[in-house]
Amino acid sequence: MAADRQSLGSYASAWAVQRRVIHALFMREVLTRYGRHNIGFLWLFVEPMLFTLGVTALWSLTKATHGLDLPIVAFALTGYSSVLLWRNMPARCIDAIKPNLSLLYHRQVKVLDILIARLLLEVAGTTTSFFVLGIFFITIGWLNPPEDLLQVIGGWLALAWFGMSAALLLGAWSEQSELVDKFWHPSAYLLFPLSGAAFLVDMLPKQAQEIVLYLPMVHCIEYIREGFFGSKFHAHYDMSYALIVSACMTLIALAQLRKVSREVIPE
Amino acid sequence: MQNTIFSRIKNVDRLFLIIVIIPTIIATIYLGLFASDVYISESRFVVRSPDKPASTGLGVLLKSSGFTSGSDEIYAAESFIMSRDALAALNKGGRFEKAYGAPEISLFDRFNGFGGDPSSEELYKYYRNKISIEHETNASITTLQVRAYSAEEAYRINAALIGMAEAMVNRLNVRGRQDLIRFASVEVEEAKARAASAASALSAFRNSQGVVDPEKQATVQIQMISKLQDEVIGARSELLQLRSFTPQNPQIDVLATKVKGLEREMEQQLSLVAGGSKSLSSTTARYQRLQLESQFADKQLAGAMASLQDASNEARRKQAYLERIVEPSKPDEALEPRRLRGILATFVLGLIAWGILSMLLAGVREHKS
Repeated sequence: MAADRQSLGSYASAWAVQRRVIHALFMREVLTRYGRHNIGFLWLFVEPMLFTLGVTALWSLTKATHGLDLPIVAFALTGYSSVLLWRNMPARCIDAIKPNLSLLYHRQVKVLDILIARLLLEVAGTTTSFFVLGIFFITIGWLNPPEDLLQVIGGWLALAWFGMSAALLLGAWSEQSELVDKFWHPSAYLLFPLSGAAFLVDMLPKQAQEIVLYLPMVHCIEYIREGFFGSKFHAHYDMSYALIVSACMTLIALAQLRKVSREVIPE
Repeated sequence: MQNTIFSRIKNVDRLFLIIVIIPTIIATIYLGLFASDVYISESRFVVRSPDKPASTGLGVLLKSSGFTSGSDEIYAAESFIMSRDALAALNKGGRFEKAYGAPEISLFDRFNGFGGDPSSEELYKYYRNKISIEHETNASITTLQVRAYSAEEAYRINAALIGMAEAMVNRLNVRGRQDLIRFASVEVEEAKARAASAASALSAFRNSQGVVDPEKQATVQIQMISKLQDEVIGARSELLQLRSFTPQNPQIDVLATKVKGLEREMEQQLSLVAGGSKSLSSTTARYQRLQLESQFADKQLAGAMASLQDASNEARRKQAYLERIVEPSKPDEALEPRRLRGILATFVLGLIAWGILSMLLAGVREHKS
């Protein structure tokens, strides 16, 4: 029993150290990415916000192509914010270790910490932009408040987990092969139209639905949308599938990262 | 012996125990001992209704993208099956509640297994869990699945639901047909009444004025007048001859009387055609109006009758009906729960979670100062 308490205590102190490390890396990341000039770290969410605004405006203008009495603003907001969430994280994690090799000189900085700091920054940015835009659109009356806020949050978290696991996995693989970086960009572009950002699964023919539902993010986006305006369409999702895929990917990613962090040599 | 087992268990990783072994044991106990057999009764149906033409370009666009392939009636049937009304009909006399709250069903699966006073909302929630309805948009086939803890119950509920859905579609039909025909038949009734009153007005006028058709009568009369005129002219010229050549001829008086008589007769006939209060010319105007009204009413009646015929044809054509493709099945084996699968899934998921957690914890431990 005493040994247990001791080990728990050592975990707690180690966790305190790791938290400080991640926090420091997070702040460093904010500064190196956005700098101190003009609006500084506000770019964190202004950048994705501008993207989402633009896409929302475009889609609102081409409303006719979507038909239905779908709330187009909610559709665009959930769709594009979700894309930002799962697409930017891998982009930030691929080849994230090499430029930070010098940091690994510090004994307490580990490979995982660097990646987690970047991921947290990305999640924080897209979440803030999603949140701020949502509040903004609700205030000016373009958007009805979500029908089930908890479901939206749950779906968002699940999607964030999926993005994180994909990012960790690709980040670890990119350390072993340069091909990952080369392949990620085209595949991210290919995945964008398939990811459910620009369609509802219900709109697709049956065969296409079956194929598209292999992608975990489609389930998450459908789930988020059902929380937002579920009474207006029929959602197709299986959250347990999305979560299990994320869990498996996380497992593989963590194993790969342990391997990478053993092999990596600080410059 | 006991000691070695105990120490062995103690040696097992605590995390592994909590995340993998204990959930697997719980799943094994639940699925192996408690979980009741679930029988699934399945049926399939389509709701057919004639194509409603997509009127606008947008409608065509939507149709091609698969939005309107299901008719309105199928959504009505689906939402009816998932409604409180359907549950209330199934639960007449507490039958549904009794079937799912039977003591043979395990405590965890039974409705209201842990006692208490269940609200009807809880029952509805439970009901929604047991009924699944899936609509294939492209083939517009709807699959209805009912899960119950006995085969007969599953079959009974499925059959009852599909019967009620069918009745509802029929009700919608009757209502739609009545709506379509009602206006047309009201119009026919009105037109009939108008035609009858116009005809009776015309005949009353004929009786009171003693004319059948003033126009024709007038021509006859005018012919007669012209004949009389001829005779008058003939008689007059004869009279003139006699007066000038044989003034003492006794025929003169006779002829003069004849001319007078003829002239009087002619005037009388003339006054019948025009001038007098009962003359044909004064009745013609009223007669023509009445006749026109009567003709118009007849035409209206014919039009209304044609549109009633159209409406009833249309109603017959628009009829939607629920067609059963697969009758509710009577399951003879419990398909759920899939016990081994469930245990295995719990175990594998536990392993994954354990892997993730232990690696994350190892990552934390690396920061030990």
